[in-house]
Amino acid sequence: MSGHGGAKKTAATRAIQAASLVLTFGVLYGVTRVTPELESHLGTVTAVGILLLAGTLMSELLETIGLPHLSGYLLAGIIGGPHVLHLVDHHTVLELSPVNTLALSLIALAGGAELRVDTLRSVARSLAWATLIQSVLVLTLVSGTFLLLARYLPFVQGFSFKQILGVALLWGVLAVSRSPSACLGILSQTRAKGPVATFSLAFIMLSDVVVVILVATIMMLARPLITPGGVISLDDFNVLGHEILGSIAVGVTLGLGLALYLRLVGRQLLLVLLAIGFGLSDTFNYIHVDSLLAFLAAGFVVTNLSNQGPQLLHAIEQTGSVVFVVFFATAGAHLDIPLLRKLWPIAVTLCGSRAVFTIIAGRISSRIAQDAPLLRRWGWSSLVSQAGLALGLSTVIVKAFPTFGEGFRALAIAAVAINEMVGPILFKFALDRSGETDTHEPEARPSLSDAAR
Amino acid sequence: MNPVAFLLGLLVLAYLGSILVGGRAIRGFGLPSGAEYLVLGFVLGPQVLSVVSRSLVDSFQPVVLVGVSWLGLVLGVSYLRVGTRRVPVPHLLGGIALSALVSAAVSTAVYFGAQHFSKLSRLETIAFAAVAGLICSETTRHSVRWVVERHGAKGPLADIAADTARASALFSSLALSVVNAWLPGAALPTFTLVERALVAIVLGIVLGFTAALLLGREFRRDESWGILLGTSLLGTGAAARLNLSPLSTTFAMGLTLVLVSRHRAYFKAMATPTEKPVLLPVVLLAGAMVNVRLPLVLLALVGAALVAKLMARLFCGALLSLSVPSVQNARLEFGVGMLSSGALGLAVALAFGVRHPGAVSDAVLLLAAVGVLVGEWLGPAALRRALTIAGEIGPEVPPPASEPGSLERPT
Repeated sequence: MSGHGGAKKTAATRAIQAASLVLTFGVLYGVTRVTPELESHLGTVTAVGILLLAGTLMSELLETIGLPHLSGYLLAGIIGGPHVLHLVDHHTVLELSPVNTLALSLIALAGGAELRVDTLRSVARSLAWATLIQSVLVLTLVSGTFLLLARYLPFVQGFSFKQILGVALLWGVLAVSRSPSACLGILSQTRAKGPVATFSLAFIMLSDVVVVILVATIMMLARPLITPGGVISLDDFNVLGHEILGSIAVGVTLGLGLALYLRLVGRQLLLVLLAIGFGLSDTFNYIHVDSLLAFLAAGFVVTNLSNQGPQLLHAIEQTGSVVFVVFFATAGAHLDIPLLRKLWPIAVTLCGSRAVFTIIAGRISSRIAQDAPLLRRWGWSSLVSQAGLALGLSTVIVKAFPTFGEGFRALAIAAVAINEMVGPILFKFALDRSGETDTHEPEARPSLSDAAR
Repeated sequence: MNPVAFLLGLLVLAYLGSILVGGRAIRGFGLPSGAEYLVLGFVLGPQVLSVVSRSLVDSFQPVVLVGVSWLGLVLGVSYLRVGTRRVPVPHLLGGIALSALVSAAVSTAVYFGAQHFSKLSRLETIAFAAVAGLICSETTRHSVRWVVERHGAKGPLADIAADTARASALFSSLALSVVNAWLPGAALPTFTLVERALVAIVLGIVLGFTAALLLGREFRRDESWGILLGTSLLGTGAAARLNLSPLSTTFAMGLTLVLVSRHRAYFKAMATPTEKPVLLPVVLLAGAMVNVRLPLVLLALVGAALVAKLMARLFCGALLSLSVPSVQNARLEFGVGMLSSGALGLAVALAFGVRHPGAVSDAVLLLAAVGVLVGEWLGPAALRRALTIAGEIGPEVPPPASEPGSLERPT
């Protein structure tokens, strides 16, 4: 992710960037029109090139109106993607999934490495209250909204109240999931320091664990409501317990290994991170370990049990400067615009209510925890974003409840699309307004090649 | 083998490659052309142990394409300078002329050999001859650097060797665009051959200008990778999709970038440390792709090409000795010393294989691989001898290079 600071850009530079962006899209669009056989398959390599270049340029241009870089990457993906210019097709988007795997592992590793025990201790009270109130209040109120809107949802037509209640609870639990990637993306760009940044990072990283537990609980409760003859089974918890403990154990081991490597060798971190991201993610999936949690634990161990945290974060930042652009641009290309167009009224209502309840819950928890005024005002701002985690959970729900799952997932995709676009803008706005964004130009920073050394 | 395990293996190789970037390592560890990784790939590949299957290797074709193109970019970015010294224009022109001469000699030998002794079609004959010539026209600069650094050589002959090796990259990198444009299946059928070939190069020039323009004003280091990688991948993908030469595109892009950008030193420092980490996995994949079970006539043509290359290099040594006094007493050794080939030859062969798969591309890859091994066997020793005769090898090895990322000898 591009850093925030650096030399201020003149209007001429912005004009060059805009012209280059238009030229890139225009020429490729022209080529696909002139040679229609190329239209649907410009290829993975070209796709990465387009997303990387257009994402970087778009983020630079949107920066002028105060929007986060992440929005630029998403917008570049949307424009270049299958629903607008069709320079990157569905098949190519799917082929880019290894980049997503790598990006998510880097995000989790960085997230863990950003969490220091002393920081956590300083916001422990706020975290505890926020977790409790955000989980209970948002889940309950969003479920209630879903119940009220159920008559407009085709996939629950003909369901009994009990069944709709079960589906509403599942929607509610989806609403409490957040986006670690968006949070880290914005923090990386703004280099924000302060109570809002610290709280947001800690809350979102910990909420990953909370959401996994909540989903298992709600699915266990919803099953007898939705499925006739279904019973509450504690087997899910058994599996979940093994997965969580296993993930933490594996993550701690990985973290110790990484800390040792950083201390004894400390070179070629780019390649080490690539090997970890590509190789270990697949291995973790194979042994049923939650990779996000494992990488989170690994990063946490490196930061808190060694003094190698800054080195790891620096290497991730350098590697991520390219990977995250492609990751978010691919996410943009993946957004189902026609579906969003179809479901937007209901999706906007659900997203709006979720945002309002999140703000209310944030204010209440801040008041109870006696947070600083800045946190009371802006503490909720990072909690609106949703992305891959919510989509992943919706897939789990589709598999568990195939009778209504596809319609549920379509609505989830539409809602996540809205939150994915709006959330980062809100968070950056809050960081700018709270004065936590680093407005100083950073010292000349080394490049990606340093991470390779 | 599982693709993920194979990918991890390639990353480990890249890791080793990045260690070898250091000046200290290059003098004491590994062969200059990376021939050992070529042999390793061959042994692991379908011809010997079959640990890596052909289908697995084929599934990594996009990686090969990107790797080859990135090497093209690195060659372009580092083309005009040896260390901090700018390559003199006469040396550049001389190096290009010599590589064209070697290329012509090898192409002629292969063309007449194929025409008289094989049943290859006219198209296959011309393609084989042309690409064989391009592969043999390269002298790897790593080999020259290896000898120069290992033995602490300093003087006009060492400079000529380094400059000639550096200059040789341009001919094969750009001429490949003509071959690719000529082969059937190239897009833009209404264009002439020259126009199609120029599209690949002009695309690189335009992208190089764009990258220079985007990064050239208020320069931000942290966005430079996005721009550089984005433009090079865009060029690679577009050229590949048009069935043109991605290697030519990225070479032209790299060269344009350093010609027009005021941040050329930064781009070079950025790109060169990535060369070995990219090169070694590509060399391993090339080794795994080598097919020795070819018709006898193709094997004979490979042999003929190598002999023609040796003769042409000896002729070049003699030719140089007429104008360069330091070569006069070591023309034979100098000629053989410039036999070493490496990354570029393999890249050209791989790029051709992606563009025009079949028995001829297998023969071409075999030629590149054997060329690397023969060059490794004869080249460095002969060059060392030439430098000794010229009195440019000192009695003591100097201290290691101070700049860890530098691929050049200290000046």
